[in-house]
Amino acid sequence: MSTIDEICDMFDTESQKLENTITSAESKSDLSLSEIIDTYYQVMNVSSMISMLQEHCNAENNSKLLEKICETEKIISNKFNLEIHPKILLYLVTSIQHVTKSLQSNSGNKSKEEIENESNLYDDLRKKMSTKEFVEQYAAGLK
Amino acid sequence: MIEQLAKNLVSIKKEFVKKYDGQSQIQEIIPISKSDMFPIEETHFELLHQFGKNNPIYYNSYEQKILDVPCIVYEGDINKYWLNSIQYDSSHAPFSPTWIMSAYISALFAKEHGYSQIIDIGSGDGRIAYCGKILGMESYSIELDEMLVDLQKLLITTLDFNPYCFDAIQFDYSSLNLTRPLFFIGGLAQMGGLELAMGVLKKITSDSNLWNNAGWAFVGTLSQKYPSDPKNEAGWGSFIENNNLQLIQNLSLPTAWSFNEFDETQYVFAKSL
Repeated sequence: MSTIDEICDMFDTESQKLENTITSAESKSDLSLSEIIDTYYQVMNVSSMISMLQEHCNAENNSKLLEKICETEKIISNKFNLEIHPKILLYLVTSIQHVTKSLQSNSGNKSKEEIENESNLYDDLRKKMSTKEFVEQYAAGLK
Repeated sequence: MIEQLAKNLVSIKKEFVKKYDGQSQIQEIIPISKSDMFPIEETHFELLHQFGKNNPIYYNSYEQKILDVPCIVYEGDINKYWLNSIQYDSSHAPFSPTWIMSAYISALFAKEHGYSQIIDIGSGDGRIAYCGKILGMESYSIELDEMLVDLQKLLITTLDFNPYCFDAIQFDYSSLNLTRPLFFIGGLAQMGGLELAMGVLKKITSDSNLWNNAGWAFVGTLSQKYPSDPKNEAGWGSFIENNNLQLIQNLSLPTAWSFNEFDETQYVFAKSL
């Protein structure tokens, strides 16, 4: 099996994985942070494979593959970039605002346990902020 | 003596990390009194503990013997200061304190090298300036974050280390009539420290007398999480070379952010060439 065939097989597998990930993201109202990151990684992974394959394929010998690439590109641009990505970004922005407000309003004397429990909320907030930065970097790449 | 004090502090820190099973965001230790490992004046220990006890960032403390040294463990939380600090566009790095003992040893280094004033820049809760004051030096604490300066104002009732709520890059240092100052620059080179240092340095170079007499302390890291500097010095080598500074010495000391790291924070001391 040639290298290009191996890459085509890999592309089939990865683009199928991407479709499943996108379908799952569409069906859930709020994704966990690890699901968000996995979704973006899969989109970026398949997008780089597409760029690489387009350089090495021609319409005569690889028509089926080019069709599949075209189909996957449509899923990324129409479903992911236009629907899922804005939904995820909005979810992160809203959630960060909500947690920030709640933490800022939560003043007064607290017990050791309350302080340490609240510290976990701050950790979650930091993780959400980092995820938002990551998602925004993806958005910057679309411009 | 200073190098040995720093080594001893690192030794008890490493042992404390092994023993610590609490959940606090930040934690540190201060020996209770003078010992062979920490031959420091008793009154200085009392003042160091007062800083810990009066400081609202600490919500719990208890006694623990570490390497046979009786210590007080201080447990704290700085999350609300972090949340506040990220609102400032010009803030260089979020507040994360050095250990009180590390602040004391750094200030002692300044004093033993002939500096008579400490300017703690990006001072957080002002602990380096406070320690300078314990050692009888004139101290000034410059901090941009109003919430942190309000915290400092709670702590100056014991020793006044002159807190200023100001952007250190815009501050008029000539107003302090400095003669032999050491500037502590808060923030790792890779976390906005370089910009802050450059801004302050520019203000000081315009006064040649002050420039010649000034010392500098930069906060550095050996962690591979951060890009290294080609001239090393924990991220400050190129800055030192490019700005006509000369390295005096590096001290390795514990800080809140290096608690779980193998390598301690590097305090890089330099002076004008």
